Formats: sequence, C-alpha cells, structure tokens
Amino acid sequence: MNVEMLLLVALAGVTALSTLGVLLTKDNFYAAMYMTLTLVMVATIYAFFSIEPVFILIVFVFIGAIGIVTVAIAATYRHGPERQFSVFWAIPIVVTAAVLCYSIYTYVLDVPVYTALMTFTTHYSLKFSIENFITTEYLLLLLFMTSLAVLLMLSVVNIYRSEN
Amino acid sequence: MPAIDFMTVSILYITAIVILLVGYLTAVSSKDIVRLLIALELMFGAVFMSLIPLFSVLPDPAFGVALLTIFASGGELLVLTAAIVIHDRRKKSILTSSVSIGGDNV
Repeated sequence: MNVEMLLLVALAGVTALSTLGVLLTKDNFYAAMYMTLTLVMVATIYAFFSIEPVFILIVFVFIGAIGIVTVAIAATYRHGPERQFSVFWAIPIVVTAAVLCYSIYTYVLDVPVYTALMTFTTHYSLKFSIENFITTEYLLLLLFMTSLAVLLMLSVVNIYRSEN
Repeated sequence: MPAIDFMTVSILYITAIVILLVGYLTAVSSKDIVRLLIALELMFGAVFMSLIPLFSVLPDPAFGVALLTIFASGGELLVLTAAIVIHDRRKKSILTSSVSIGGDNV
C-alpha cells in the first residue's frame, strides 16, 4: 500500500467518523458542524484526485451557502431531539452488517472473479479538464439548469410572500 | 494523483455507502425537521462521493452530472429550509410529529 492509498484511506476514515458524529450527537448545532466537516472531507477527496472544479463547487456552493444556512438554522433551533427507535435495533443491524461483510469477503476471495475485477478496473487515470467541458451542449445544459433553479427559487419566494 | 484501481473504487464506494446509511438512519431516528435537513445533505454527500469513479471513464459527462447534482440538491435544500421557516411560523414547532400529511400543509 503506497502513500497515496494510505492518505485516501485516512481521508475516507475521517469522513466516515465525522458522519457517525452526526448520528451520535444529540445537539443539532454539532450535528450540522459534523455534517459540514463530512462535506468538506468529500470535497477534499475530489481535490485529492485533482478534480478541482468540483472541489470549488462543493466548498463554495454546497458548504459555503447551503451548509452555513443549515448551521445557522441548527444553531437557532438548538435542542436535543428524542430518538424514535430503541437501541436494541442495533443488534439486528450489527448482525446484518456482519453477514454482508462476510459475504463480500468470501466473494472477493474467489480468485477468478477478483482477477476479472482487477483487470477491468486497473489503473484508470483521471483525464478531466474544464476546457473540454465548455461545449455548446453543456452550456445549454447549464442554461436550462440555471432557469430551473431560478424558477424554483421564485416559487419559494412566492410561497413565502403569500404566507406573510 | 492516484490511479483509479479496484482498491480505490472499493474505498470510495464503501465510504459512500457508510455516509448514505448514516444519512438514512439519521433521517428515520429524529423527530426534528432540522435533523432531517442535515440527513438529506449527508445523502447528497454520498452521491458526490460515488461520482468520483465516473470521472475516470467519462470525465465530461461526470462533471455535468456533478454540476447538476450540486445545483439541484442545493435548490432542493433551500426549498426545505424555506419550508422549515414557514412550518415554524405556522405551528410554532419544528417537530416532525407536527407535520400534517399531504399536499400544501407543510
């Protein structure tokens, strides 16, 4: 296992742990903070693979706008909600996860399948560049998407104004 | 930049599944609309995570899908945020138990 793989495993581990933090904390504010950390780590994994445009979009749009609004709302309504399920549900969940892990483990150990998968997915490199993306079709897609987002926001503003 | 091989794809997909499952569990276990919003954002995070391997085979369509996902999910979450504010104004509560079933009764 080389250094890059170790770094990826570390990033994925921190992402999974911060996700668990959302589930385990009872305070909405801390849950929102853990959620933001999870999204930052997802964006960091994009940067790790040198896909900087998506990193910038996630950090600025998804975390910078939506995430901060969520943190602000969570800080406003800051109280610990009650759980709707018993902790005893954890037992069947753990059993199911163990069975699934064992099935996947035995499946991967099946040598011909593993070899086929390795030959199929071995060493693709990421060749994305923003220059290739700027074509007429994708610009049209962006235009449609922007129109959709504007319509969506206008309808929300309309609902909000009608409430007042 | 690391190559996308079987091990890398496995790590990415396992992490995406973990995020998605925790998002589901958070959604079903809370009585709070804010927690529901947080769970939804986690689920979209899992979607972003699972898109990374697509960049190795179809980079341009993958970026298009990522762009659509980011903006569509952003719009959806902002609508949910507005719905939370409106719901709080109407019911003076953000508990999911106070949400009426169906249609316009947010």
